[in-house]
Amino acid sequence: MNTLTNFYREREQAILGGGFILLLILIWQTVPALISLPRGIALFFTTPVEVIKSFYQLVVKNEIQSHVYVSAVEFIVGLGLAILVGLPLGLVMGRSKILDAMLDPFVTAFNATPRLVFLPLLILWMGIGIWSKIMIVFVGALFPLLINTYEGVKNVDRVLVNVVRSFGASEWQTMKVVVLPNSVPYIVVGLRLAIGRALLGVVVGEFFASSRGLGFMIAGAATNYKVDVVFVGVAIFMGLSLALTHLVKRLESRLSRWRPDEVKTY
Amino acid sequence: MVPCIEARSLNLTFTPKNRDPVTALQGFDLQVSKGEFLTLVGPSGCGKSTFLNGLLGLLKPDSGELSLNGKQINGPGQERAMVFQEFGLLPWRTVLANVELGLELKGVAPLIRHERARELIQLVGLESFQNHYPHELSGGMKQRVGLARALATEPEVLLMDEPFAALDAQTRDLMQTELLQIWERTKKTVLFVTHSIEEAAYLSDRVVIMTARPGRTKNVFKIDLPRPRDYEMRLTPEFNDIKATIWSSLKDELGTKAAGNGI
Amino acid sequence: MAFKSFFSDYQRLLLGMVSVIGVVLLWELVFTYVIPLNPFFFTKPSLIAAAFKEQLVSGTLWKDVAISSKAFLLGFSLAVIVGIPIGVFMGWRRRAEYTLDPFFTALYASPLVALAPLLIIIFGVGLTGKVALIFLLAVFPFIFNVFAGVKCTDRLLVNVVRSFGGREKDIYFKVILPSIMPYIVAGARIAIGRGIVGILVTEFYAASEGIGFAISRFGDTYRLPDMFAAIMVLMIMAVVLTEGLRKLETFLTPWKTGQEAR
Repeated sequence: MNTLTNFYREREQAILGGGFILLLILIWQTVPALISLPRGIALFFTTPVEVIKSFYQLVVKNEIQSHVYVSAVEFIVGLGLAILVGLPLGLVMGRSKILDAMLDPFVTAFNATPRLVFLPLLILWMGIGIWSKIMIVFVGALFPLLINTYEGVKNVDRVLVNVVRSFGASEWQTMKVVVLPNSVPYIVVGLRLAIGRALLGVVVGEFFASSRGLGFMIAGAATNYKVDVVFVGVAIFMGLSLALTHLVKRLESRLSRWRPDEVKTY
Repeated sequence: MVPCIEARSLNLTFTPKNRDPVTALQGFDLQVSKGEFLTLVGPSGCGKSTFLNGLLGLLKPDSGELSLNGKQINGPGQERAMVFQEFGLLPWRTVLANVELGLELKGVAPLIRHERARELIQLVGLESFQNHYPHELSGGMKQRVGLARALATEPEVLLMDEPFAALDAQTRDLMQTELLQIWERTKKTVLFVTHSIEEAAYLSDRVVIMTARPGRTKNVFKIDLPRPRDYEMRLTPEFNDIKATIWSSLKDELGTKAAGNGI
Repeated sequence: MAFKSFFSDYQRLLLGMVSVIGVVLLWELVFTYVIPLNPFFFTKPSLIAAAFKEQLVSGTLWKDVAISSKAFLLGFSLAVIVGIPIGVFMGWRRRAEYTLDPFFTALYASPLVALAPLLIIIFGVGLTGKVALIFLLAVFPFIFNVFAGVKCTDRLLVNVVRSFGGREKDIYFKVILPSIMPYIVAGARIAIGRGIVGILVTEFYAASEGIGFAISRFGDTYRLPDMFAAIMVLMIMAVVLTEGLRKLETFLTPWKTGQEAR
């Protein structure tokens, strides 16, 4: 009996957390069996088992693969562009006080506003092809990266910069030796936030302006009351989001080991 | 005569999160007389702070007796108040509001408690700071607020857990002298915990040396210096003798394995 | 780059304003005198200002803003009322944390907007669907920030209150609640952004009123100046709310809470 309590004590966190989720799934699955749902709700109801079956069907009939591919391309290209633009710009803004002061109002305004508001404009400009989605992903992911890089650069210890300067380092060398390493933890946090925003961009962009992609699949299925397919899409996004976020968090903790206090992460 | 505070065969174990239980006190005996200034000295982890928390009522002993004026201690009570090492001031409250805390929790009416708090703020010399926030105060000032707060509820017993440890040397000396002055005025029973032999000798009527963990009373020394005490007394040969006596008892405890595993 | 002086706050503000005015002027001048303006593709500040004035005067702007705001406030308030207690519960009781944290983290990390079409199909195009989505999006920043705040509460202060005879309710009201105020405000700041996303998604997708709907309708009918004007209104509101809260945060935090990622 003692070994059982010990086993529980060591894994309490996992048991309670995982158990709760399993319980919810179980309840979800058995609800229709326990109470008869009124017709209105039954139309919208699905169960985990049905969702899994739908997923299997979609894979077997090769329907889902093209959607996943399109969404993936939008995500990767958009995020890639955001990194390519955001990181250098953040570095420069962090080091140049003039540029920082001049760009600040724009960055503040665009950061406070959900980039989604520009979606109709982007659709106007680029139609419903793949580029409007890439652009919304880009714009969504850009700001967390930009701002966090910038904060990382700004927060570099002035003493350290002076130390390196006193050895005759140029601006470029200072960047490489002090500023960049110090900023890495911030950049990684920015990356994590950017990934969330990028996925959001894919989902919503595809709701409104697409003929392909997982978001389009979800929207279409909802209109046709195929709630199980909706959940297949939602589950895929959830899974992707969790997996990517987890990876970046691991990267984060590895790269932040030298830091005394935690960079807040919500 | 019933001693003010009495501990008899006290055993106290506590279990930190996710770790094995720790026996802090075992067979601990102590008697403190009313109005006395008693200091506990001992190696790290010997249970002196634990004992203080037990007296405060925040920790329950496993067995043995712990009583105040003959009555067993069963939880916090108005007769005992503590001054904490890390000050423990509520950062979002002004000095005045912090000093009032005990009175507020007891349900004392606002006007009365403002008055009382102001008296004590004056006693510790912080009248011009009563509307300041803790982050605007120095360490010494914060601890004076802590002292004022502890005195506000008019406890019988003042518990002081290394209250000056976080202060710089000069402030510490100043605070020690001030504490003695306030003690002479208010005549409380003081139970003081410290690592500093000098502090113990300077302040107390009696000094109790505790063994390494699990803690017990090892030796009790009476400090025969006249009162009121002043700084010059610390420079006399008598004082050095007292320190040497305390040290000789304490140093054995510092060398043991248990002392090495102190908190 | 060696800087002879650091810019004061005042100078920063000035530079920022100069920059904004400069961009607006440049924009207007370029499209008036240099590049021909294709009205189906772009617009310029003077036209935007005119459209804005017209919307203001005709009252359509207020109507749209009011409708969107109503849904937002309802959903947001619900998120506050539900999210804060859950956060406190999770932060204070370790078992609650173990049980609920993985589930909520999974939900928080997922793009819950993916459920928007479903919610709209279920609840229809009106207020309920909007409020449901806004609530779902806005509740998690509160839960997690309050959770972090409660866990960060200085245990010493709890002991202090206990030692002076404070009971459970005293601990909640005199220690935990004041401690978590800055965290609540930080959570509110994040929740606002997410809530606005909720409004936009529902109004873009299937609505007949509201500022999101206005923006997409202007887009469909190629009324670009009106569209830009509406976008800017939304931007101004978002900035005012977010920056206002940020100021509130610094005001409430004379003691440090650590670095925050936006």
